[in-house]
Amino acid sequence: MKTVREKTWINYYFKSTSGIVGLFLVSVMITLSIVSAFSLAPIDPLEQNPISALQGPNSTYWFGTDQFGRDIFSRSIDGMRRSLSVAILSVSIAALVGVFLGVIGGLFGGWIDNIVVRSSDVIFAFPAILLALAIVNSLGNSWIDTSIAIAIVYTPIFIRVARGPVLTVKEMDYVKSVRVLGFSTPRILIRHLMPNVFAPIVVQIALSLSWAILTESGLSFLGLGTQPPDASLGLMVSEAQPLAAFAWWALAFPSIFITVVVVGLNLVGDGLRDALDPARRSSG
Amino acid sequence: MNKLLEISNLSVVIAEDERVLVNDVSFAIEPGEAVGVVGESGSGKTLSALSILGLLARGLKIGSGEVKFQGDNLIQASDETLRKIRGNEIAMIYQDPMTALNPVMKLGDQLLEVLNSHENSIAKPREHVLEGLAAVGIPDPKRAFESYPHEFSGGMRQRVMIAMSLLLSPKLLIADEPTTALDVTIQRQILALVAKERRRRNMSMLWITHDLGVVANLVDRVIVMYAGRIVEVGTVKEIFNSPKHPYTVGLLASLPAADSSKDKLASIPGVPPKPWQVGDSCAFSPRCWKSEENCRSKRPELSDRSASAVACFFPEGSSR
Amino acid sequence: MSLKVDGVIKRYKVRAKKSTISALNGVSLEVKRGETLGIVGESGCGKSTLARLIVGLEPPTEGTLTWNEEVLGKSVRNSLKSHHSKIQLVFQDPYSSLNPRQTIGSCVAEVIKTHQLRAVDQVDSRVTELLSVVGIPMDMKNRFPHQLSGGQRQRVAIARALAAEPDLLVLDEPVSALDVSVRADVMNLLVDLKERFSLTYIFISHDLSMVRHISDEIAVMYLGRIVELGSWSEVLNSPRHPYTRALIDSIPDHTKIQGIDFENVLEGEVPDPANLPNGCAFHLRCPIAKPNCRIEVPALKVAKASHLVACPEVLK
Repeated sequence: MKTVREKTWINYYFKSTSGIVGLFLVSVMITLSIVSAFSLAPIDPLEQNPISALQGPNSTYWFGTDQFGRDIFSRSIDGMRRSLSVAILSVSIAALVGVFLGVIGGLFGGWIDNIVVRSSDVIFAFPAILLALAIVNSLGNSWIDTSIAIAIVYTPIFIRVARGPVLTVKEMDYVKSVRVLGFSTPRILIRHLMPNVFAPIVVQIALSLSWAILTESGLSFLGLGTQPPDASLGLMVSEAQPLAAFAWWALAFPSIFITVVVVGLNLVGDGLRDALDPARRSSG
Repeated sequence: MNKLLEISNLSVVIAEDERVLVNDVSFAIEPGEAVGVVGESGSGKTLSALSILGLLARGLKIGSGEVKFQGDNLIQASDETLRKIRGNEIAMIYQDPMTALNPVMKLGDQLLEVLNSHENSIAKPREHVLEGLAAVGIPDPKRAFESYPHEFSGGMRQRVMIAMSLLLSPKLLIADEPTTALDVTIQRQILALVAKERRRRNMSMLWITHDLGVVANLVDRVIVMYAGRIVEVGTVKEIFNSPKHPYTVGLLASLPAADSSKDKLASIPGVPPKPWQVGDSCAFSPRCWKSEENCRSKRPELSDRSASAVACFFPEGSSR
Repeated sequence: MSLKVDGVIKRYKVRAKKSTISALNGVSLEVKRGETLGIVGESGCGKSTLARLIVGLEPPTEGTLTWNEEVLGKSVRNSLKSHHSKIQLVFQDPYSSLNPRQTIGSCVAEVIKTHQLRAVDQVDSRVTELLSVVGIPMDMKNRFPHQLSGGQRQRVAIARALAAEPDLLVLDEPVSALDVSVRADVMNLLVDLKERFSLTYIFISHDLSMVRHISDEIAVMYLGRIVELGSWSEVLNSPRHPYTRALIDSIPDHTKIQGIDFENVLEGEVPDPANLPNGCAFHLRCPIAKPNCRIEVPALKVAKASHLVACPEVLK
């Protein structure tokens, strides 16, 4: 007797080149962040060393140093850790709140849905960075405040991403059939509705992480969010700007880090989208 | 005799992996003749028809064969030649008229566009379109001319599609299940309309359907397809009164009869195979009550290329 | 045991168009235990709405549905809880009625477990039994719906309905989406199951030839009303209502080849249910309409014993 095992989405994920490349890039960045989190960076990112200021990349300072002689590599990975922490916290909040509201709205409809949709429309009406700026300004500068600000900005996207599929799936015959079969509402929700709404949410999480990193960098570039002397990729870019003409490395490496993690997360999002959608999987 | 359309040894394959969807299909249509192609989903009936006009979906291609229309091979024809033939000499109507009509364009303009995009000698295009709409039973042609597709019901849209396809008096009308999505009383209206127009214009027709009942009253000759191949060809009388291929026999027996008997329906066990899975055997043999060793190791060819033929080693009514 | 539908009306408000669609305009019927009631009609006649009301997916706007003397509550929730296992529904499209992310075995098992119809250690054998009853080999248990053919999926949908041990099965176009050569097989299965589990069927279809094959009684619906109701031989062999006649004439008949006259073609189309005509809903298309038909809505009246017709003209 032959048992047919369904290939899981993980099998499909590793069939896509972009998925593998994306996962590699993101893993490298996460590993570096962990290195920094355990203070395993080669040099203390805050340590100033005026003698070796503005050195180009060399064997001691892999990415060179800034105008205070701080090691750019150590500062970059420290900045990456901060950016990732902010991104993960903010996207977690946005996803939890957004998906909850979206599912509730889609499921119950009526005035609940109206409130959810209208309020998310209001948030949508502002450009993301502007709204985040305003919120950070009123909340404060800690990384948690930054995360909350970014979470508020990205919650409406999760509301939309969850609400749409719920509206479609709840009208599908298989959801109606299990209603006729007398299954309880929580059971229908968890076993039959959510798994089919899950895929777009996972993809959205990957994409939102990359946007959140950009927003966080943007905020610190503008002087909000992370404050000196702490390292942040956005802040580093901002500080290195006047030096660009003679110390390209101070600008280049943090920028490359931002680019790599954003591109990586986008590729992961693409890979997940293809792997989770049965219609996009090639047959066979 | 002079054939209007002659298809020989046509095969359609998936471009990526060369899997065969239509295999070695040959048939001809004479001027004024109506031919029905009957088959289930996946039998290749629609693909065969789309190949005629070079309208295969992306990812599919013609593997081999010839499609000759009035002597010209359409497969090698340039896009320009095909464009001149499409809608002009060969017209097509589809299952879903909503997707075949442009939703943001007035019907009148869409019909006029057909006339404008082909050379013709019609002096008064607007009058010609209005006449065409009236001929297919559109109640108020002048109003319909100014309307958008969504203002019409499915049946009315299909009438508009038919009017559009007949504007340039094509020699051949290809109909891909145009009544499947319609209610039965509306289906009958459309069948009556097409039968009348065909007779009036002495037009040839290729009618694709899964419903044997529909073609019984509409066409002269029937082609039965199964898993990408033609399994039987014959006149309507031959196919319905003395079917020869066991698949045709089974298909006819599985329809609930009109004489309201409540007996068990004769059923065909199993499901149709994918055309590329068949190999060198009769595709129907796993479901056939007559199949023998021979059927599983060798493929029966269509007995001959004349008007009636069957691809079976043990056709019904033959002595064994 | 029987299902009684009494004066049921169902209206839907369409907010965007600010209009009301009348899907059912006073339907009464009764299905006796062990019988098969066939409901036939074209799109917009309300047959699927009626199915949804019977299984309790939606409440009626007016009127009552009773199952074994017990009123199926107006509240959807109540009717589902108390009657889930006795009235079940099989949908038309087996491609959308099964959860794409659930194996067919667990889809059937879930019904048994949720309602605790078998001891935990007997669930597996019950699933195997149910699947074999509908002709699905047990080694397919772990497959997902998309790995099955349309006919097999419909069998699984039937097995899942049977798992709830129903008395009444509402079959909403159960074979219309299937390939022609597979339909007969599923029809035969339905006939077998009815005998085997002494089920009562409501068989809904637009296809008169299928309804004719399986039904004991037939109700013909047009625009939310029953226009003719009776035993199949009465309705099909001596149809009275002009719409029933047109419907019978419209079935493509493979036993009459060529030369069929396309003369008795029913003209016109089904009116918009949001904008019903006055009087008899059929009068706009009716070949025998009289001026009075535009004014009065004809009631279902006895033509002969159990044969009811809603047309005063043919009852004269």
